[in-house]
Amino acid sequence: MTHSAVTTDSVRPRLSLSPVAVIVVCAVALTFLGITILFSASAAFKQGPLFYVSKQLVGVVLATVVAWVVSRVDLELARRYIWVVGGVAALLLVLVLIPGLGISVKGSRRWLGFGGLRFQVSEIGKLAMVFCVAHYLAANQTRLADFWRGFAQPLLIIVSFAALIVLEPDFGTAALTFAVGVSLMFLAGARWRYILPAVMSAVVAFAVLVIHNPNRLRRFTAFLDVEGNKQGGTYQLYQSLAAFAVGGTEGAGLGQGRQQMNFLPEAHTDFVFAVVGEELGLWFTLGVVIVFLIMFIAGLVHLRRAPNLFHYLLVAGCLLLMLLQAVINLGVVTGILPTKGMSLPFISAGLSNLILMGMILGILVNTQRSWGKPGAGLSARGLEEVTA
Amino acid sequence: MARGFASNYRIVLVAATVMVSLAGIALRLVHLHVIDRERLTSFVEKVRRQIVVEPARRGDILDARGKFLATSRSQITLGVDPQVLRAEDESKWPELARLLGMPLRDLETVFRTKVRPASAVPTVGDAGGPIDLDPADAEPDGGRRIRWAKLGEGIEEETYERIVKLGVRGVYAPPRVFTRAYPSNDLAAHVVGFVNDEGVPVQGIERWADFYLRGQDGWRESEKDGKRQELAQFRVREIPATRGYDVVLSIDSVIQHKVEEELARVVAASKPEKATIIVSDARTGFLLALANWPSFNLNEYRSIPATEMRRLRNIAVADVLEPGSTFKIVPAAGALQEGLVSIRDSFDCSLDRIEYKGRMRELPREDHRFTHPLTLSEIISHSSNKGAAQLGMLLQEKRLHDYARAFGFGEPTGLASIYPEAGGLFAHFSKWSGSDITRIPMGHTVAATPLQIHYAMGVIASGGELLRPQVVREIRNAQGETVYRFAPVTRRRVISDGTAKAMTTMLARVTVQGEGTAPVAAIAGYEIAGKTGTTQKLINGRYSSQHHIASFVGFFPASRPELVISVIVDDGHGPNGGTGYGSTVAAPSFKRIAEQLIQYLDIKPGGAALARPLFALEGGRP
Repeated sequence: MTHSAVTTDSVRPRLSLSPVAVIVVCAVALTFLGITILFSASAAFKQGPLFYVSKQLVGVVLATVVAWVVSRVDLELARRYIWVVGGVAALLLVLVLIPGLGISVKGSRRWLGFGGLRFQVSEIGKLAMVFCVAHYLAANQTRLADFWRGFAQPLLIIVSFAALIVLEPDFGTAALTFAVGVSLMFLAGARWRYILPAVMSAVVAFAVLVIHNPNRLRRFTAFLDVEGNKQGGTYQLYQSLAAFAVGGTEGAGLGQGRQQMNFLPEAHTDFVFAVVGEELGLWFTLGVVIVFLIMFIAGLVHLRRAPNLFHYLLVAGCLLLMLLQAVINLGVVTGILPTKGMSLPFISAGLSNLILMGMILGILVNTQRSWGKPGAGLSARGLEEVTA
Repeated sequence: MARGFASNYRIVLVAATVMVSLAGIALRLVHLHVIDRERLTSFVEKVRRQIVVEPARRGDILDARGKFLATSRSQITLGVDPQVLRAEDESKWPELARLLGMPLRDLETVFRTKVRPASAVPTVGDAGGPIDLDPADAEPDGGRRIRWAKLGEGIEEETYERIVKLGVRGVYAPPRVFTRAYPSNDLAAHVVGFVNDEGVPVQGIERWADFYLRGQDGWRESEKDGKRQELAQFRVREIPATRGYDVVLSIDSVIQHKVEEELARVVAASKPEKATIIVSDARTGFLLALANWPSFNLNEYRSIPATEMRRLRNIAVADVLEPGSTFKIVPAAGALQEGLVSIRDSFDCSLDRIEYKGRMRELPREDHRFTHPLTLSEIISHSSNKGAAQLGMLLQEKRLHDYARAFGFGEPTGLASIYPEAGGLFAHFSKWSGSDITRIPMGHTVAATPLQIHYAMGVIASGGELLRPQVVREIRNAQGETVYRFAPVTRRRVISDGTAKAMTTMLARVTVQGEGTAPVAAIAGYEIAGKTGTTQKLINGRYSSQHHIASFVGFFPASRPELVISVIVDDGHGPNGGTGYGSTVAAPSFKRIAEQLIQYLDIKPGGAALARPLFALEGGRP
């Protein structure tokens, strides 16, 4: 803990040209686009667009505060209290399952509420999982070839988080959590012969879960024939696809979209990208994809400077959380992937999404700040891990 | 990534996966936005576009005095969308139930039934195809949310306004529709006609004047949202409905009513198969009344049994019969016009046969034996068959044929096609048989509609012109302004005014006691001109002595005719069950109608002295 947050900034470059600065700028741009489109997307809702926009603005302010706080936290300190981080997240995930405490919407108990605000606990869970797995893998980086310490234990951490999320149930987030976790194991150097069977069995388990539930199976088979089922199961997905078509290259114009007029489900949250597609057209939707790509590339550039495995995995995990979530959301909205409730980072309305992204940005800024300092990553623990 | 703690290829692999995914999404976006655009957009257009038709109100049909013969009533149907009911409106339910006149319990049942169970959801539409159901209303168990349940039909405008004021959310009425109503029920049923439940005008003025009456439906073109509610902000076009024009008939309800009363009396007294009475303005040809029996109630045409469909038939224009003696005006007028005879020329009407074109022709039988030669006038007033045959021979085939044609026989009258009109049968003279020259002059082997017979007599009444029968006076717009006025139409001049006068003089003898066949039609102080007709019906190819068509066609006052009235009774029976002659069955009816109309229309005996038109063309009553 030699390098605390109070050190002067003189030795590291300002945020201006750093990769993280690029990411932050991109994030701000996407958030701005999100608020703009929210005006139209919520126009048809009962409370009117101002209600949603002001709520979103509150979320942005909260997320900024969270990002600032996280960016100032000493990550090494957080590692010392890893059990607290993991434990609190797990506890929240358990609490949300308790009827009466967790708020249930459409049969899924995913939210904990404080007053008028609701928070999706799995967002914390995802990040906590990344933190725990990064910590574990870093601490055991010399024993990764070992089945028990290098594979089974980290997988257990991942699966416990994913399992708690499945219970809500929230298959999309659980799958995302699992995918990010396994990616981190893979990045840390887990053996192919362990990773591959794990991924395979996860796929099988997922398939079993889908086939087992007739409702889910119906949704999946409908997805395979979007066209044929457009009057039934995939009506709403088809509305989403149609929104892009209506937008064309130029877009219908801000406020001119119609698909959010009760045609599109979740027009302001999960399907907000379709509204972007209808109102702003191809250039903007491609732009959003490119912005995510830029963020990813910037993140990768940033990653090159990671001082140790923990930081490396933490940042990689954060990037994957952000990017995979975006990919899944865009895939669902454009009909490439079967419908899963997953918000689009920065753009979808919703407090949970904003807070999580705030935390991720906070971590990135945090690392940007700390990696620039001399001797970064050369903490006592870092040395221990490498030599263990 | 030259780092000791992480291998380079692994991050490259993960990064490549993410980037490929993003590239895939980008390609997909291009596909959706550009390549697949047209197909997807057409679907959206279909789902979004909404055209709400606002039906036009059909114009009214009015009689000459402005009385409604057909009108349109707006009909409000009220229903409820149980999905959007608010709890706070529940206190208004009892009042709503009261306004609708339904028990509160029933109303609550309708309001609280929000889902139709899966078993009751129709899967096949009426046309056999899949029905268009909004997937958004599907319930997980296969049931369906109810979005519309009917509360009441035919709700009064006033009640509807109070219900709207009550403001129960979810209770609403779709655009109102109009239903056709006939306030006078069976009055002039065959003339007015009716519109069926599909909105198709079936017959009568409803059909002929449909172009004027129909109006133009309006519409609202806009978009609807996913819940099928109109998005007023995207309304592209709003065309208000244009009310149809009103059609004013020349039919006078009062006259029509009197005529129908008389018809009912004739029917009761003589039990005919069918009967027709026609009244028209002698100078303009406009019909004042046209009644057939059997008839029907315009509001109840749906309940006419299939076996009784003949009641819909407009006998006056659609059925043909042998005119019989009323046809004798044709050879008489023709011979006079051609200068072949004068009124005082006399003919031997006791002959059995006569030579014509080198051959002996048998003359028809007479009902009476005439011991002395008959003058032309007497041939008409006594209705001599042998005399008529000799007049025909004077004219010869071609001219007899041409005069009959000129009087309108063998061609449709051109009455606004209120009913498919029969043209009647009148063969070309080249096709006549040897006996036709003696039979046609007495109205045999000729087939004519009552309307043709009526307007043939009208030629004499009008001073020699064949007028077109007309029933529509004028067309008015919604503001009551006249848009088009129908003028009297003369089809052709048939005989000179002098010939017509001479014919009138002779026809006036018909009703003179001791001279004519129909003294029963005489009215004290009035000169009534007319002609009786009694035709044996062809039953199984033979003329029957039991079944007759009795007719009296006449006009008055003879010196300046105002009204032409025809009474034609098919297979009626005389008093005490005797033969139904024109003089015993039809002529008395003529008289009763004429007497009433003299009073109603204030017709003076001289007629001419008044020198006023019977009806001002402005449509008002004198």
